[in-house]
Amino acid sequence: MFVYLNWAEPTFIVSTLFLTMLDMLRQYISGYVALTGEEFTVLADKLVVREFDKRQLLVRVGEVEEYLSFVVKGLARMYFHKGKTEMITNIAREGELIGASSSFLSGKPSYYYVETLEPCTLLSISRSNLERAYQESPKIEKLGRLVTTYFVLQKEEWELECMRLDTRERFLRFIGNNPELLMRVPQKYLASYLNMKPETFSRLKNHVKKRPVTGRP
Amino acid sequence: MTNSAAIYQAALEKLHQYLQGYGPLTKHEFREMEPYIEIREFDKRVKVIHEGEVERYLNIVAQGLARKYLPVRNKEITIQLASEGHMIHSELSFHYRVPSRSVVETIEPTVFFSISYDSLEQLYEQIPGIERLGRLLITDLFIKSDTKYFNQLRKSTRERFLEYVRTHPDMVQRVPQKYLASFLNIKPETFSRLKHLTRGGKTLKG
Repeated sequence: MFVYLNWAEPTFIVSTLFLTMLDMLRQYISGYVALTGEEFTVLADKLVVREFDKRQLLVRVGEVEEYLSFVVKGLARMYFHKGKTEMITNIAREGELIGASSSFLSGKPSYYYVETLEPCTLLSISRSNLERAYQESPKIEKLGRLVTTYFVLQKEEWELECMRLDTRERFLRFIGNNPELLMRVPQKYLASYLNMKPETFSRLKNHVKKRPVTGRP
Repeated sequence: MTNSAAIYQAALEKLHQYLQGYGPLTKHEFREMEPYIEIREFDKRVKVIHEGEVERYLNIVAQGLARKYLPVRNKEITIQLASEGHMIHSELSFHYRVPSRSVVETIEPTVFFSISYDSLEQLYEQIPGIERLGRLLITDLFIKSDTKYFNQLRKSTRERFLEYVRTHPDMVQRVPQKYLASFLNIKPETFSRLKHLTRGGKTLKG
């Protein structure tokens, strides 16, 4: 199912691959706070590497999310069912966080499924380990505050965009900002994520092919 | 008012208790915070922040009622209703220091505990102990907003209405119907009809 590696265990050989993963995470964190080597180690000591095939469920509806994960490689989506329709609320790729974050934070059952779309390598931290990291380092507590603030802002931004922009504007803005997702994610998922019918998505895409747009509308 | 200092103190005491609901905050730490907190009073139907302004404050409602809305093509979409104890401000504008797209407007005469962006930054610098409190507050906010978002997407109009009425009976009394309808993303006509049903003596279960 997944490979469980804990670098604090003596049997774990610190490979260059693992160091590359940590570098990616460190890069991500530097967008929020500057951690010293020592502070970063407090966090790194508590991480596990998890590997998944494509189409594996990381969390099911009703389960409690035990991990917050950083995507080293791969692509995953978060969704729920409304009747027979799957509603996708998040798509995460390399350099982003994935997980049923509100379940992780509240310790309550998840409203969402989280599923890999491509084979994934994740650097994950469990709730109890994250709590320990907060106890050990105020800087990491600050990181936690800033990342959670970002969650709130990201959600707010998404909601406002959905209200403010019409279907076409939402489409253009999304593909302007995420051109590579158009290649990697099945079209019906992108349509669901943008809350539009697959036919509409398809029509807009064809339209854009004829007259390419660049950047934000 | 002669006893305004006493009222001010009582209000601050309430704020201290409110914050302690999220995490440990000693009397001493709270005393250190006090100089950074402003008490701002507004009449009813006053715009606290306009579209296009950069949000200076994070507000917690001490008394009264306010809403946040997004002006879209000659319409106002109400995105938040905040009564006593709730936080309301133009978050994206506040954190990213960009012009606000949304408007915060009082519904009733309202008193806010407000903290400016600069004060908040200084607070975190000077009182490391409040880092945890800040994290727990924002975590709670995220969980609530995610739950609301999920309900909005997942539940039917009727379910959304019934759940809101059940969990916020006071708000149904206080908030003008058109704002509630907009907030719940229910057409005003539908909202009236549903409200009528609950009054009709029938017990509706969600």
